[in-house]
Amino acid sequence: MSDEESTLIGEFLQGEGEPSSSWVMLVMGFVSTIVFLVLYGILFPSSDLPVISSVLPVFDGVFDSGIWFFILGAMIGIFAILGTMLTEATSE
Amino acid sequence: MGLITAMVTFWLITLVVFILVNRGIWVFTDVSKSMSLFMLEKALGPPIDFVDGKKGSASTTWILQGTLWIIPASLVTFCGLWLSHDPQALHSLTAWGLNPVSTSLTTSGILIAVYGSMGMLLIGSSMHIVPELGATSLATEKNATLMSFVWTLAVIVMFVGANKPEIAGISVMPIATILTNLVLLAVIVNMLLTAASRTRKMPLPAWMMIIGMISAPISILSLALTGSLDSGSGQWLATRFSGTTFFLMVSGAILYGSSRGSGNPLWSRSLAAVTMAGAIISINPAGLIEGDIASDFLGIETATFEPTRNDIVAGSFLLALSLIPIIALSANVLATMRGDDVFMENPDSPGMPEINLAAFMAVPVAIGGLFVHTDYITGTNELTGIHTSLVLLGLWVVFIPASLGAALSIFPEVSGRNMLSINRSRWAFWLMAGGAFSGLVFTMMADFSDMALIEAAVEEENSTANRVRVLGSVLFYGTVIGSVYHSLNMISGTFRGALASEEQNISSTSISSPYMLTKETTVRKILAQREGKLDTVVVPESSTELPGSATEI
Repeated sequence: MSDEESTLIGEFLQGEGEPSSSWVMLVMGFVSTIVFLVLYGILFPSSDLPVISSVLPVFDGVFDSGIWFFILGAMIGIFAILGTMLTEATSE
Repeated sequence: MGLITAMVTFWLITLVVFILVNRGIWVFTDVSKSMSLFMLEKALGPPIDFVDGKKGSASTTWILQGTLWIIPASLVTFCGLWLSHDPQALHSLTAWGLNPVSTSLTTSGILIAVYGSMGMLLIGSSMHIVPELGATSLATEKNATLMSFVWTLAVIVMFVGANKPEIAGISVMPIATILTNLVLLAVIVNMLLTAASRTRKMPLPAWMMIIGMISAPISILSLALTGSLDSGSGQWLATRFSGTTFFLMVSGAILYGSSRGSGNPLWSRSLAAVTMAGAIISINPAGLIEGDIASDFLGIETATFEPTRNDIVAGSFLLALSLIPIIALSANVLATMRGDDVFMENPDSPGMPEINLAAFMAVPVAIGGLFVHTDYITGTNELTGIHTSLVLLGLWVVFIPASLGAALSIFPEVSGRNMLSINRSRWAFWLMAGGAFSGLVFTMMADFSDMALIEAAVEEENSTANRVRVLGSVLFYGTVIGSVYHSLNMISGTFRGALASEEQNISSTSISSPYMLTKETTVRKILAQREGKLDTVVVPESSTELPGSATEI
């Protein structure tokens, strides 16, 4: 396989050429989610959100103390370490 | 038997072991060496082939795991501090059959920090320091690497045991004791074999680390021989001896680290000798004041602490005596790091800020520990209310920074790569040090407030102390973030950090040779050294005796 070919495959797999305006899609996604939630509240004021409303009670009584936010932060840190290990070990 | 009998036995056995290690065991030396090496490698069968045996792999593995253990240690301690003002904060975990309380979390946090972080970092450092100072290589890298995973397993068992002492009628803590001692035995034999193959006189820091390790089994043997283990005084002394073990190892590590990192020769060999001899002779004030933890580890019944008058006098005297080696260590490290002026050499060198902090804080924390221990041993019990905070302070601003600093200073050499970012290292240091110091000082303020109200027999809840505790625990969270930063920096560094060049690898050994230049310096500094003279020959290590030739263009 030539060097040029392998470079092309590398770019295809790793997506190094991120489009400069890709952030627009992220913002549009976020805004449309908020719009959907607001609309849902206006159109069906007495109805719970499907799926989400049945998942949330599972966490009832869990996040009733501020300590959970700190534990969440530490968990993010631990996952960052795991992520770093995986990406460092697999990157070329 | 009394406290002094146990101490004398400890001194005698340590002396005999030191002589035997130095002189060998007569005609059995060669047989024991080959037999020990066989037991460490081939006798273990297939498991030994799972691990890497290249130079530095054992040290790297121990140090990496030790650094990672700082995260759970700080997180569990943080939870323990939080639950002291909000006991119901984690009550939802009861759904999983867990019932965490502040005291058990704090104790398990201390155990993870001592055995997981500090223990692993120090053992990992010793696996580089001892061979380096003896100008030899570690007897078996493979066994040492393999044992690190068993040690990690032991720390997990210890954490479980601290929170759930019995599972299915079986005491958990003694299992952790068996596992740690098994590993410690293998590490000690490995170190002794390494020391036996030394090609030059080994400087004191290496001996401190070896004797520190050996003092752990010796102390228990001394207490067992004198029949003190089932007495309150004996169990108290067993807890104190663990302080001696770790103090000796920390001393060796930071004396080496301060010299290596700063590029300065060790300020005083006499002070290093005082540190070593003083640590063995005196009773170290580091660690928990009660002997309960020792009885838990040994799986024996906890005895009431009822010292005799002689025990009180001897104990108080030997506790006070411990300040001498601690001050000697602190002065030696600080002076070594500064060289000939007041500024720290190579402040950006990995581990230097941590070692500096530990050396600074060692003396005030030791004085505090001395007051609390003397108060406890005499039965006054007026200061015992702050002892947990003081133990945590000693751990997080002296012992952990010291062991982490020493490990960081040698990590580039053993792993072959530097930390990923000096800037991130600096952030991690400030977060860890600032979080631990401020958080625990606030917690101690709340302890004092509680003690005052208890003395005044006020029955109402102390809301002010609770508010201060909130502040203390939130500030301590900086330590958790700092430990995550350090771990990330180290892990990324092992993959992408700048290569530690060959020249850097050979460098220093400033402990045995003061004029090996490791970095650029000034004539003023060289002259300011104790033996610096105008005719001093300065030879950089990279110089060559080959004749020069014309440069090809």
